[in-house]
Amino acid sequence: MNDLPIIPILATLLGGLAFWLMLPRGTARGRGVGALAMAMALGLAGSQMPRVGDWLDNSVFFILAAVTIVSAVAAVTFRNPVYCAIWFGQMLLGTAGLFLFTGAQFLAVATTVVYAGAILVTFLFVLMLAQPEGKAAYDRVSWEAMLAAATGVVVVAALSMIIGRTFAPEGALYPWLGMPTSQQLAANVLTPAHVARLGGELFGRYLIAIEVAGVLLLVALVGAAVIIGREKR
Amino acid sequence: MPYEVALLNNYLLVGAALFGIGLVGFVSRRNLIVMFLSAEMMLQGVSLSLVAWGRFHNDFGGQLLVLFIIAVAACEAAVALAMITMLFRRSGKLDAAHWQTLREANQPRFHEEPLPEEFGDQPLPWPRLTPAGIQPDVPREKIDYRPKV
Repeated sequence: MNDLPIIPILATLLGGLAFWLMLPRGTARGRGVGALAMAMALGLAGSQMPRVGDWLDNSVFFILAAVTIVSAVAAVTFRNPVYCAIWFGQMLLGTAGLFLFTGAQFLAVATTVVYAGAILVTFLFVLMLAQPEGKAAYDRVSWEAMLAAATGVVVVAALSMIIGRTFAPEGALYPWLGMPTSQQLAANVLTPAHVARLGGELFGRYLIAIEVAGVLLLVALVGAAVIIGREKR
Repeated sequence: MPYEVALLNNYLLVGAALFGIGLVGFVSRRNLIVMFLSAEMMLQGVSLSLVAWGRFHNDFGGQLLVLFIIAVAACEAAVALAMITMLFRRSGKLDAAHWQTLREANQPRFHEEPLPEEFGDQPLPWPRLTPAGIQPDVPREKIDYRPKV
């Protein structure tokens, strides 16, 4: 608390500056510098994160995290919306990998199939119907790029400061959070019968919720058809 | 730092970064579809945190909540794409600034600054080839005319 965490603050500020440089502002000047600064910010932030397990776990996690974050930045800052959508797909694959890394096998597959397979393709469909010639003039300017980047800096700084204070070794809030042993994990969340347990929970504890979700999907389907069909009358 | 705590810490940090990036994209981009992609990115950041917390508390609730997030995102995508298609039919572009007449009464209008031309949009430099054979009698503007690169 007494000494400021210099490197995380520096990383967040540098990331915000890089984001402002990389966002479309009507000019291509400074995008290379922005990409370089973003790489530096990500490296700084990664150097401050705690290591996870042995070197193999570490490298898998940090590669997946880097793929996710870099694709997310690219998806937001590219000017051609088709490239944005494709980078977004890669971001989804990165999050699917992270889900798999933490043991959520079904979610990894569901994210890949539903998000990257269905939703993203629908996006690309509309995009290519509406704007087949690539980037338009309004893709080359953004609203208030500097204020937007500053907002992102504030949000990320606040969140990561809270996270860092909660789990810092000397702050030691986490014993009160309760930590599972590996035997408990292997008996419940990391069980080999993952999908069976997940389905059991889904149709046991969350039966009403899944019925509501089904009704919601039906309502959305009907609503989309009504919205689209209104023009024809 | 124990393994589970380090894992949770890192997942929460990555989720926070995804949320922030999506927020910046949603606030600053003007293309309706890119705005929507950014909103989905914020959902992904929250999903990462939920899965990590679910593992930390040794409970399937986090993963199931993410499953519901995916279902709601699919609904959202269907309705939003229908609305975007409608807006596109009315205006002919995917520009959010085109609908600024829907703003509140005493809000100022968004002024679009004229865009400077970028190098990427200039016509490509064509190679100069060594002339061979008899020079045909073609007017200059017909040689330089390229309908579409």
